[in-house]
Amino acid sequence: MNLGHLLLDMVLMPLVAFIVGLMLVLMMRRVRARIERRVGPPLLQPLFDIIKLYGKKTQISHGYMQDISVMILLGGYIASEIFLPVPGMDGLAQQADLLTLMYLLMVPMLGMALGVGQTANPNGSIGISRALSAMLAYDVPFVIVVAGAALHYGTTSLPAIIAMQQAAGAASWGIFNVPLLAIAGLLSIHAMLGKEPFEIYVAPAEIATGPMVEMSGKYLGSLFVMQCFQLYTVGVLYTTLFLGGGTAWLTFLPKVFAVIFLSVAVTNVYGRYRSEDAIRWLWKWPTLIALLGLAVVLAR
Amino acid sequence: MTGLDFLLLLATATAILLFMRGDRPEAGWLATGAYAVQLLVLLAIGGVPSQASFSFTIQGNTLSWQLSGLGWFFGLITVAAALFAAWYSAGDWGKQQAHMRVQHTALALNVLAMLILLSSADLLSLFIGWELVSWASYLIMTQRGGKAGDAAFRYLLYAMAGAMAILAAITLIAVRLNTLSLEVFWLNLPTLPSDLLWALLLLFGAGFGIKMALLPFHLWQPEAYAETPGASATFLNAIAGRMGLFALLLVLLHPLGLERLAHLADPLLQFVNARTLLAWLAALTAIIPTFIALQQTDARLLLAWHGIGQGGLMLLGIMTGSTLGVAGGLLHVFNYATYQAALFFVVTSVAYRTGTTDLDRLGGLITRMPWSYVALLMGIIGLAGLPPMNGFVSKWMIYKALIDAQMPLLLVAASISTLGTILSVYKLIHNMFLGQLRPAHYAVQEAPWSMTLPALILAGIGFLTGMMPGLALDLVDKAQLALGYALVPHHLGGMVHPGGGLNMLWVVGILIYGIAIGALIFFLGNRRHLTHQWDNYAGGHFLSADTPYQYSAHFYPGVMRVIGPWLRGQVLHLELSLRHVVHVLADACHAFYQPTHAVLYVLIVAVLALAWTL
Repeated sequence: MNLGHLLLDMVLMPLVAFIVGLMLVLMMRRVRARIERRVGPPLLQPLFDIIKLYGKKTQISHGYMQDISVMILLGGYIASEIFLPVPGMDGLAQQADLLTLMYLLMVPMLGMALGVGQTANPNGSIGISRALSAMLAYDVPFVIVVAGAALHYGTTSLPAIIAMQQAAGAASWGIFNVPLLAIAGLLSIHAMLGKEPFEIYVAPAEIATGPMVEMSGKYLGSLFVMQCFQLYTVGVLYTTLFLGGGTAWLTFLPKVFAVIFLSVAVTNVYGRYRSEDAIRWLWKWPTLIALLGLAVVLAR
Repeated sequence: MTGLDFLLLLATATAILLFMRGDRPEAGWLATGAYAVQLLVLLAIGGVPSQASFSFTIQGNTLSWQLSGLGWFFGLITVAAALFAAWYSAGDWGKQQAHMRVQHTALALNVLAMLILLSSADLLSLFIGWELVSWASYLIMTQRGGKAGDAAFRYLLYAMAGAMAILAAITLIAVRLNTLSLEVFWLNLPTLPSDLLWALLLLFGAGFGIKMALLPFHLWQPEAYAETPGASATFLNAIAGRMGLFALLLVLLHPLGLERLAHLADPLLQFVNARTLLAWLAALTAIIPTFIALQQTDARLLLAWHGIGQGGLMLLGIMTGSTLGVAGGLLHVFNYATYQAALFFVVTSVAYRTGTTDLDRLGGLITRMPWSYVALLMGIIGLAGLPPMNGFVSKWMIYKALIDAQMPLLLVAASISTLGTILSVYKLIHNMFLGQLRPAHYAVQEAPWSMTLPALILAGIGFLTGMMPGLALDLVDKAQLALGYALVPHHLGGMVHPGGGLNMLWVVGILIYGIAIGALIFFLGNRRHLTHQWDNYAGGHFLSADTPYQYSAHFYPGVMRVIGPWLRGQVLHLELSLRHVVHVLADACHAFYQPTHAVLYVLIVAVLALAWTL
């Protein structure tokens, strides 16, 4: 692998993820606006929001861990993005596999949790307690989906998984071959994105936006950047596992947008689950569907 | 004199020396030096089999000792754990303790007993080593009395039952195969009848399983380990429980044994084999104690419960029977020792400064004990098994081996245990170090360097072997070779594997790069200024020292409402009633053996003897 190409990968990847993420956030906000019969924000609004937050004069911090947590949560996503193979940029994808990525994606969560803990606000701590409870809930079906996919493809190497789906055309995509796993995966990433009905950890009226309660200025701005990264990473991961990945950005990006669109479109019609109800629901339906999918893979 | 002779001699000398000089102020440093020399001798042996030059013959059976690569691997961790424990107690912590002489001696005796056990070359020497370790553990656990004494007594009941089971298994082998040699037993293993093998598996499994707290023999461990004084508890937590795993590996879990277990069908459910059954037992041991840990409100108990769960993961890796899985399981023994010891040191430091390990009575200590916080943070990342720490690498190997072995449900089980661990360790760090600092702790200072440095170094080793797992895998190779498994082809950063490899140098490098970019983004904004913890959103109220503003008790109500009813502890009630029966019997025996009735007993014995002879 040539060094220049590698460096380009490492520099460009976070940038691409950020820009695509901004577009995904824009889509999310516009979809919600249309459902509520509003026009929605203009093209550059997500970027302006971040710039505004970073430009604030007073930046309040509760300690070093809060500062470092911002770096960890961004760093965790950036690392995941670099390891995720995308068209033309998969130089490092061989160095870490699907399992590594699954656990690397928990690093930002831990980073955020530590930072919020340092802000010393019980509302934030309650939010993190709920967010981690939700993680315990949605990761159970997600792990089953990952295990099923790994068995179906016979490898945990992401470039190999993409190559397999690309070689035999759309008929070999995960979504058509292991549809049950794909459905369960979609349900668990919906919860992973923290969209209604799984957003009790934010609950503005009850716990004052939970983890965000003491985050202002560039701290909140970093969380906005993280949201861009999160939407992008989750979308790309799902596309890689079930929608054949991509060889060209033109065919690849619509798939990523479609995955996120499904999630943000249905979210607007839901209320909010309590933590225990969310856990029960996620351990019942997506888990059952994923287990069925796994059984099908094992039976082959 | 062979290397093993020298090592055992050194260990004995250490115990005697500490027994004589253990109450001196410099005893801690003396012990540290002694363990350092033992460690050097072990390193000089270098995993090459080392035979003891002494042996005994009893009724035609030879008792001999040999330190194989497997024993060497466990011995290295044992002596290193003792070294760190002694270092920790050499400074201020030791000065605060009441009976350091007993503690030092008990630790040295534990190391000696473990080294004897680890160099067992036949079934009889294994049993002798096993008993020595059991009694040495009792000594180290019981010294504080009170709650610790009760916990140690509970342990003793389990240990005795386990020893009986092991003795029964050894007797069975001696009667059926007419040998006490391990090699002969291994050679006969493939042809042993199924019923005998099931009996051996149950007896050995129960006996060794008690030590490693395999479900359902786990109940004694958390309290016994948690109530032991800090430095000794660290040693126990880091390695003592692993002796059970060592013995299981030595007796049953080498390639031939695992192969035989895989073909040993369950007499009731014919489609289940012994290997799968043990693997599921290991998986349950990884899950259930982890979620019990989640409910704990005492930091030491929380960690001790996790110790049981991590032991389950090690066995799970080994039960896959693949090279990668066995290496993962063994590597996890090493990795676990590094971060668990660091975590226990920090918890002990916090207890030293604040006087409590109650998670509901702490908080906000990050501003007072920043170095302890760093060590704890690195430790919990290791325990949770996330990059970049070493816990991730061994867990990755276990996951990967489970996928290769087509055991996806066990992979899911292992992952559920990891998820539970993440929740639980966050609670640990949050309730101790994050949130609001309590008025009672305003004046708390960082623990002395003699206490923070060992923890930081252990955490550093955890990070280093996380980034370069090849360093630790070189040690694992010796153990695997001794067991007869093929070696995992590895390099400094990890391993190349046909179905997706791992290179931690890249993973850690890219993660650090990502964090650097994160820092760049962070520093783009204006300079931040620090505020006081009372300068906080409180719904319009003003905060002050009188306002408790912390969320720590009942930390995961949502999860507990779902899984709480599953963990009501019926087994605990059953075990408690059994223990009470033993207590009553013990009291009855004690009352019977009063010295005041000595004449009466002599008379009874004399009469009975006369009656029998006449």
